[in-house]
Amino acid sequence: MAQLPALVDGVERLTDMMQAPPDAFVQARGIGKRFGALTALRDVDIDIRAGEVLALLGDNGAGKTTFVKVLAGAHVPSDGTLRIGGDTVRFASPRDAADHGVATIYQELALSENLKVAENIFLGHELVRPVLGVPFLDRAAMRARVRVLLGELDAHIPDIEAPVGSLSGGQRQAVAIARALNLDARLIIMDEPTAALAVAETRKVLNLTRRLAESGRAVVIVSHNIADVFEVADRMIVFRRGRKIAERKRAETDPDEIVALITGAHPDARVADQP
Amino acid sequence: MDDQSGVGRDLTLAAACVAAVFLFALLSPAFGTAGNAATVLRNGYELWLIALGMTLLMAMGAIDVSVGAVMGVTAILTGQALLADLPLGVVMLVGPAAGAMLGLCAGAVVVWGRIPAIVATLGLFGVFRMLIFLVLGGQWLSGLPADLTRVVDWRAAGVPAGLLIVALAYGAAWVFLRRTTYGPHLLAIGFDEDRARLMGLAVTRVRLATFAASGALCGLAGVFYIAIYRNVSMTIGADIALEAVAAVILGGTPIFGGRISLVGTVLGVLLLRILQNGLLLIGVPSLWQTVVTGALLLGVLSAEVVLRRARTGAA
Ligand SMILES: Nc1ncnc2c1ncn2[C@@H]1O[C@H](COP(=O)(O)OP(=O)(O)O)[C@@H](O)[C@H]1O
Ligand SMILES: [Mg+2]
Repeated sequence: MAQLPALVDGVERLTDMMQAPPDAFVQARGIGKRFGALTALRDVDIDIRAGEVLALLGDNGAGKTTFVKVLAGAHVPSDGTLRIGGDTVRFASPRDAADHGVATIYQELALSENLKVAENIFLGHELVRPVLGVPFLDRAAMRARVRVLLGELDAHIPDIEAPVGSLSGGQRQAVAIARALNLDARLIIMDEPTAALAVAETRKVLNLTRRLAESGRAVVIVSHNIADVFEVADRMIVFRRGRKIAERKRAETDPDEIVALITGAHPDARVADQP
Repeated sequence: MDDQSGVGRDLTLAAACVAAVFLFALLSPAFGTAGNAATVLRNGYELWLIALGMTLLMAMGAIDVSVGAVMGVTAILTGQALLADLPLGVVMLVGPAAGAMLGLCAGAVVVWGRIPAIVATLGLFGVFRMLIFLVLGGQWLSGLPADLTRVVDWRAAGVPAGLLIVALAYGAAWVFLRRTTYGPHLLAIGFDEDRARLMGLAVTRVRLATFAASGALCGLAGVFYIAIYRNVSMTIGADIALEAVAAVILGGTPIFGGRISLVGTVLGVLLLRILQNGLLLIGVPSLWQTVVTGALLLGVLSAEVVLRRARTGAA
């Protein structure tokens, strides 16, 4: 009879394995990141699935952006492994990550505001017709593609020749998302996409976020806004002091619990408060 | 890339050039002659070439203050190639090739040394100056044959070959900026280097290539220098970095990068050379030339600060 707990445990694990979708697009395991003496991430395990919006929450400095930058190839993790689409990857640069289908839209840093809409959407991935190795721009093809992309997003940008700096916050997000779509990204990461937006524009970006997931892409959204998160996210992960302290399906939690986790009032948050 | 304010700036500069021409023509009978007009243009060759490279660098948020010394080193090499009786085609390539190497050195120090461009190139300026001193040993390089002079002054349908070469250089730059991936990449780096990297651009490659291109243009300026003056003194290129930076800023390419105006640089150089020539002809000592350049630079920069304050204050 002493074996019973072990048996129950075993059966539980077996059923867990059968229930868990087999192929999370991203499998991050034991991810750690140190900046000198500061530990920004510690032993983080996260699965990100295609067709799902995953929200990352946490107080300022909790490590959300750092984790996102590891996924995006902007930081090399100090520990842990990253599997994307079944391959173990070690990104040396954002370009590497983009080549693996990861597109990131950073908090206020997504675009070059001095350049035109089309130039931003294609920056670094221009359609070219090389002549003697010189990458000449195929401007007509790019303009046509920009119209299709913006049309798909139902984004109203009257003048695609305008510099991005002259657009509204929501229009800029649409351009950034069009850029991600154009890269044929399979994982789209948005760090605080609605932080600087008016209410109507926030609605639009949230709708877009859902549509991206429904089209079969994996979507990660970092946000401080609990209402926004509950509107779009299928799953939520809470960070505290560089650790992942909780993971909840939307149906199994409520805003109060998430807030308690973020602020540290929830018992589960205490793991992060030990040295 | 050239926005509305850029066009306005070009018109202002063009108007300033025209006004200066009229003023000097009134003050000095020697100014308004065809021969003097040709001289003004001929005096502009080196500065146009060096300022073109400087425009690219500044649009990228960089700068190179060693350009005068690079012109000096490459002029000496060109002079020695000329004295060694090498084929003229080879003589003309020595300068740009050596200049590209020196520019690449500057780029490497800036990119991999993580040293701000102005500091790194100031250091290199000292090193290259020392090279010039060691090679010349306090003497002048002089008595050079006129082979290159004949090339630069050869006229096709009345247009001097030197001016054609300068125009070709600007034309090529325009094509690269507007018709290839180089333009948007350069300006994205100039706007925000880290952001450009996050967006997946090959930032290091573009920066090195731009430093090398600027160096090659300085080398071509060295070839022109030999063609026009047929000697090299210790002080070669002492003021040309200041003049180039002044011309670029006058032309509307901002010192912090992210925007570019080739037309502005062309006009900025023209204005500087008209003023220098005109002031000389009305009897102002040439010592005042750098004062005029510096004053123009300060004037434009402070006007911009005032305008920006007025604009943000009104918004
Ligand atoms: N490049 C960096 N160098 C040093 N420390 C960093 C760097 N980036 C982030 N940090 C630190 O790592 C911690 C986590 O930051 P971040 O991931 O930006 O948090 P969040 O996005 O959750 O607000 C913070 O203490 C922050 O100061
Ligand atoms: Mg953050």
